[in-house]
Amino acid sequence: MLTLLWGLGSEGPLAAVLRELDRLGAPTSLIDQREVLDTEIELDIAAKVGGTVRTRDQVVDLAEVTACYLRPYDWQDLSAVTLAGQNSSAWHHAAAIHEALTCWSEITSGLVVNRLAAMAGNGSKPYQLAQIGRFGFRVPETIVTTDPDAARAFWEQHGSVIYKSVSAVRSRVSRLEAEHFERLGDVAWCPTQFQRYIAGMDYRVHVVGAEVFACEVRSEADDYRYPGAHRVEIKACRVPWEVEDRCRRLTAAMQLFLAGIDLRRSHPDGEWYCFEVNPSPGFTYYENTTGLPIANAIARLLAAGTNGLRHTSG
Amino acid sequence: MLVVVANRCDATAEALVHCWRANDAHLLSCEDLSRPGWRHCLGDPGVSTAVIGSRLVGIEKITGVLSLLPCVTADRLSHILPEDRAYVAAEMMAFLVSWLSELACPVLNRPTPACLMGPNWGSAQWVHAAALAGISVRPIRRRVVLAADPLPELSEIEPATVTLVGDRCFGDVDRTLAMKARRLAAVAGVDMVAIHFDSPEADARLLGADLRPNISSPEIADAILETLERSRRC
Repeated sequence: MLTLLWGLGSEGPLAAVLRELDRLGAPTSLIDQREVLDTEIELDIAAKVGGTVRTRDQVVDLAEVTACYLRPYDWQDLSAVTLAGQNSSAWHHAAAIHEALTCWSEITSGLVVNRLAAMAGNGSKPYQLAQIGRFGFRVPETIVTTDPDAARAFWEQHGSVIYKSVSAVRSRVSRLEAEHFERLGDVAWCPTQFQRYIAGMDYRVHVVGAEVFACEVRSEADDYRYPGAHRVEIKACRVPWEVEDRCRRLTAAMQLFLAGIDLRRSHPDGEWYCFEVNPSPGFTYYENTTGLPIANAIARLLAAGTNGLRHTSG
Repeated sequence: MLVVVANRCDATAEALVHCWRANDAHLLSCEDLSRPGWRHCLGDPGVSTAVIGSRLVGIEKITGVLSLLPCVTADRLSHILPEDRAYVAAEMMAFLVSWLSELACPVLNRPTPACLMGPNWGSAQWVHAAALAGISVRPIRRRVVLAADPLPELSEIEPATVTLVGDRCFGDVDRTLAMKARRLAAVAGVDMVAIHFDSPEADARLLGADLRPNISSPEIADAILETLERSRRC
């Protein structure tokens, strides 16, 4: 039984899970991306997937790995790689290490939190929203368009509208205001996503295996992750059991074992809207404020490996 | 209307569109995503519109889609400002994933979030999936060591290829391989794939697979057309 962590060792969620695994006494190996130039990999792939990862101070037998927590950052942003420059041997090595570990994580029989193929759905917000809508959550009316007239008509129809990226890049929510009117012509260059604004209270629900941790978020900001001058207040809470259950089923259907689900309970009609399922949540932001033991739950899930799965089937 | 999703510089795709002009085939390239007229209304396809080969069409006019573009890359977006290309490429990719997934007509192959042509599998995943399905494979050995000599190359083999398109199967191979290929295609959830073996014999080992078969072959192109048009006739 060995749990493998892959990412930046000092990064919040990875460090928190590592600490909890240590506390549980679970055998753990960290493949720190900062040591990428001192990392070597051998893979053997057929029906069984084996191989080794060597770093400065450890040799990991991949056949021993029963669970894995993935938080890899873009290898091109690693300082050793950036300094070496494009097309250097370091550049090619980092790319090959990333590709090999990614490949292994997709096919290992161990528990992977989360496989990249399962996480990829979050890279297309409207694709994921269509999935979410099948699980009983309300989703906001949405149009993705290159047509300025369609964007204006959508705005006029709904009165209050937000725009956000279609992909996971620069994913920030902003309210469409009158001063944007002249810039609407720019949507002709690239499909742009608009959604009806839903007034209400934000909730972040973390699902870890079968466990659910909810908190409510009070803020006047359009996107509380970028509050500007607005206050953000986060408190642990319970959501109705049917909402918890929907969150569990949605997570399982997306083949995720960990998810941070963004909900809003609309005002005044009390409907539960779901905006997004984050498959690699920065949960420490919520844990540090509320004390919810999310890292501990992830560590217990990983330590149990595939034996500990109690997924609700989708 | 048939839609072939491909890069504008993809000469094979363009030739296919030309060949299918009597079937109202048109090329959809990334340049089309920078033209006004797209309306992708989630859950309301009746009012959705697309821009295909510079012309505005209602979604209901599209009867079949052949996807020959794995992903949108920044280097293909010369019409976008250089500093915005990476962002726009990600946005267009995300858009196409959603748009192709929502179409009611046949799409070869249905996209996955990471690949517009189907599952984003490398040879390791094809080999692993085949082995789990009981298909004999040539194992893959990979070594990544900084500045080390690469592993000795496996001997180059001229592969024997089985191409599946819908319920049609092509390739001068033992019929056992065709059955194995069909089993693997079902595991991968694809209707169109070229699967490579190390020989045409029944005991051949699987080497890998491509989601883009040889569309220059007239018989494969005809099978694709037939598969895309079948639902229109039903």
